[in-house]
Amino acid sequence: MALTQVSSNKCCGGFQKVFEHDSTELKCRMKFAIYLPPKAESEKCPVLYWLSGLTCTEQNFITKAGSQQAASEHGLIIVAPDTSPRGCNIEGEEESWDFGTGAGFYVNATEDPWKQNYRMYSYVTEELPRLISAHFPADPEKMSISGHSMGGHGALICALSNPGKYKTYDATTLVGSYSGPQLDILIDQGRDDQFLSAGQLLPDNLIAACTEKKIPVVFRLQQGYDHSYFFVFSFINDHIKHHAKYLNA
Amino acid sequence: MQEQDLYNAEEGSAEDQRGVWGGSADGEPDRELRVPGKAERHGRQSRTKIAEEKRLKEKKRVTPPPSTFQRFSVDTNESLHFEPYIPSDEDEPRSPSFRGATVFSDEVFEEEGETEEGPPTEDAGGSRVDLKEGLGGHSERDPPDVFCMDCKVPTQASQKLFGPHKDHRVIQISRAADEVKEDLQKGMHKLEEQIGLMENFASHLEEIFITVEENFGRQEQNLEQHYNDVLQALSQRNEQGAAQLQDDKKLKLEALYTQLLECGKTLDVSKELIEEAQQIYRDEDKTAFLQAVTPALRRIEELSQDESEIKLSSSMDFENTPVDFSDVKQMMDSVNILPAPSAPVINPQVPNSASSTSARVCWSLFSNDTVDFYDLHYHPVLDDATFTGLQAPDALEIRVKETYCTVRELLPNAQYEFWVTATNTTGVSPASEKAVYMTVPSPPIIKPRECASCPEAALIRWESGNANPVDSYTMELSEIGAEGGANAVTESIVAVPTCECLVQLQPGRHYSICVRAVNIGGPSERSEPIIIQTTGTSFHLLEDTAHPCLSISSDGLTMFYTDEDLPLSGMVFSDNTFARCVAVLGELIPVRGKHYWEVEVEDRTEFRIGVAYEDTQRNGFLGGNSTSWCMRHVITPSRHKYEFLHNGWTPEIRITVHPKRVGVLLDYDAGKLSFFNAHLAQHLYTFQCRFLHHVHPCFALDNPGALALHNSIAAPAYTMFN
Repeated sequence: MALTQVSSNKCCGGFQKVFEHDSTELKCRMKFAIYLPPKAESEKCPVLYWLSGLTCTEQNFITKAGSQQAASEHGLIIVAPDTSPRGCNIEGEEESWDFGTGAGFYVNATEDPWKQNYRMYSYVTEELPRLISAHFPADPEKMSISGHSMGGHGALICALSNPGKYKTYDATTLVGSYSGPQLDILIDQGRDDQFLSAGQLLPDNLIAACTEKKIPVVFRLQQGYDHSYFFVFSFINDHIKHHAKYLNA
Repeated sequence: MQEQDLYNAEEGSAEDQRGVWGGSADGEPDRELRVPGKAERHGRQSRTKIAEEKRLKEKKRVTPPPSTFQRFSVDTNESLHFEPYIPSDEDEPRSPSFRGATVFSDEVFEEEGETEEGPPTEDAGGSRVDLKEGLGGHSERDPPDVFCMDCKVPTQASQKLFGPHKDHRVIQISRAADEVKEDLQKGMHKLEEQIGLMENFASHLEEIFITVEENFGRQEQNLEQHYNDVLQALSQRNEQGAAQLQDDKKLKLEALYTQLLECGKTLDVSKELIEEAQQIYRDEDKTAFLQAVTPALRRIEELSQDESEIKLSSSMDFENTPVDFSDVKQMMDSVNILPAPSAPVINPQVPNSASSTSARVCWSLFSNDTVDFYDLHYHPVLDDATFTGLQAPDALEIRVKETYCTVRELLPNAQYEFWVTATNTTGVSPASEKAVYMTVPSPPIIKPRECASCPEAALIRWESGNANPVDSYTMELSEIGAEGGANAVTESIVAVPTCECLVQLQPGRHYSICVRAVNIGGPSERSEPIIIQTTGTSFHLLEDTAHPCLSISSDGLTMFYTDEDLPLSGMVFSDNTFARCVAVLGELIPVRGKHYWEVEVEDRTEFRIGVAYEDTQRNGFLGGNSTSWCMRHVITPSRHKYEFLHNGWTPEIRITVHPKRVGVLLDYDAGKLSFFNAHLAQHLYTFQCRFLHHVHPCFALDNPGALALHNSIAAPAYTMFN
């Protein structure tokens, strides 16, 4: 698969780049963002996959989250894919903001007309890692996954469904059936997150399930923070450090 | 000219003699000749030289110009011919026929004209002629080829069989020469030794001269002193006697004068009476006469009867009181007697010459007195308080012949007063000044429970080990190598004023540390060492801060809050103990940097674990004030609850797996206090705080349970990421 570089900006001593390619899983052209730290010039680096939330593209995270500083410091490659296949012209994909375009939910669709293209789970867990390992100085043994909002959910299901694949993970309700190597999950939740107050986010359930299954989770309820990238920005360092602890061990 | 006698000993072979003894002394580096400053040598040499020159004149053969330093004929191949030794009174003993230089090598004899000085010999051509004749005086015309050792003459082999040497030991001339050479060498050696001795003696003589002068000086002084004393005593006697006489004279004169006065008075009275009597006698009036005469008669009669002794009241002569010269006599007698020694001088204590039970006391003589032995006296110096009204404690005595003594069986860290007297046959010297010596202290005792360490430093505390104060302490460190042996002391910290010391160390090593107490007498023996590992941080709980309900194990690392309900009255509180929160502080080494420790907790233990300033409120709750930070575990009916408290505030944190072993990382420089689930390597929470002072670890139990502290653990790698 050929990669075409779309943009490249020097940032924090490394490079924030965006590439485009033809995806075999999603059967369309997909973009993804990749940050290469200074260390990548001389060595292979571990990779942190970041899954963004609803309505986001590969751009939001790299422009708003401020992850490049910590990534540069800890020598991590951060790959931020798009959130869904684009331009497939499937009927109804633009109808709502939380379904269809920009709302891949990181699962493989099982029904038509979606199942041809909407295979974000496979894209994220199989195609993308292969691509990254082939084209970039990535250490294939050291991967971890994280995300915000829908991406957080995505990270959890990817990790919990693939025991041992990812070195660190974020939460999901799949916790209940998890059996695999020890996890160490860090979750930050803005207290003033409207989705929380709306009941769309149910961290207590997750925590309860993890407590039950004895899956180590530290869940932090951050006073005054909401759902936005300002919130992401504020705690991205802690999360990257959390990942670096295992990726650089 | 003794040599001459020898040389001329036999007739007719003077020239033959020349062949061997030719020229003056020479040969090898003229060892004897060059002995500096010895007139005899030169004398002898010149005698030799003169002898030789005389020979030269007698010589009939043609000789090359004589050299003055040649002793032996250097081109002769023949053996040395030794004359029988004729002892003389002026000569040195031994060394038969030895004159001149020591020659040790045959080469000298075999060289042909190749001496150091180079001049050729008298015997040109090295003839072998030279048959000497002994005193026995056989003249041989044939060249001799053997030598008779018994007669010491060369002879012919043929002679041996038939002649006078038939039964003698006869050997080849060359061999004979060798043997005799050996004798010569021995003789020369002995002479050299003697020479050495003489030289030594001579050089000593100079010193001896000086000593004689000194001794003389001393004796002279002594003598003068004695005689001065005697003269003084005599003149004193003289004065005394004269004064006495003077007094006596005065007394006599006074007495006599008194007598004179009395006589005068008596005379006057008598004369008056006579005049009166005459007047009465002349009185015409008989009646008046009769009236007046009776008392006058009576008075005349009285006076006449008064037979005053007309005797001298004191004699004209002076008595001769014998003068007491006994003491002067004694002084005269003692002129030649050795004076008693003067007081010795006791030395001040030499540093490091004492131990904890002994002291080495030294003294010296004030002057060059003769002393037979010394008596060293001593007693302990007591505080003034115990002294008043009491006699000084009895002094002990030691008798020694040397000017030093090691006094044993003393108490440690104690002062003793010493003084010394010197004694000889005449008597005892006055006592020297008193000097105070001090024994070194007993070694201190390190208190391991009060010591703390971290990767860069250790805090060591100890007990003095002595009842009385010492001057200072010295701490000694040695690193223990990987193989376990302690290396030599690598560092010493001296002049430590108190019973604790903070010392910088290297991380990741083992050290053996011990302490000595020091006073003026020197340092004590080492204390028992403490082993310090600079891995992780190590501290103990401060038991005197513990709430009465909290009991601490004997190793100081585990605390228990028991179920028993102690009545409030049964609890002992102090200013330092926690009064409400069942808490205790640990004593962290006051060194910045990173410190890490772990606490083991049980599932149901409600605890508070964190740090606090030393002066945190004892009636407060840990985490409830601004002087403490802690992680708190509470058990609610539904779940475990965790709080990270400071100033009463906590973030909202949910932790799904209950930590059984909490790791605490204190990072002064980054201003962070972090908590971990040590079993899972999971980071729980980090306080960001600027610590204004040093803090101490703090622990509390909110319900009955136990906490076990684990020390000396290096901070794990995962703790770096927070």
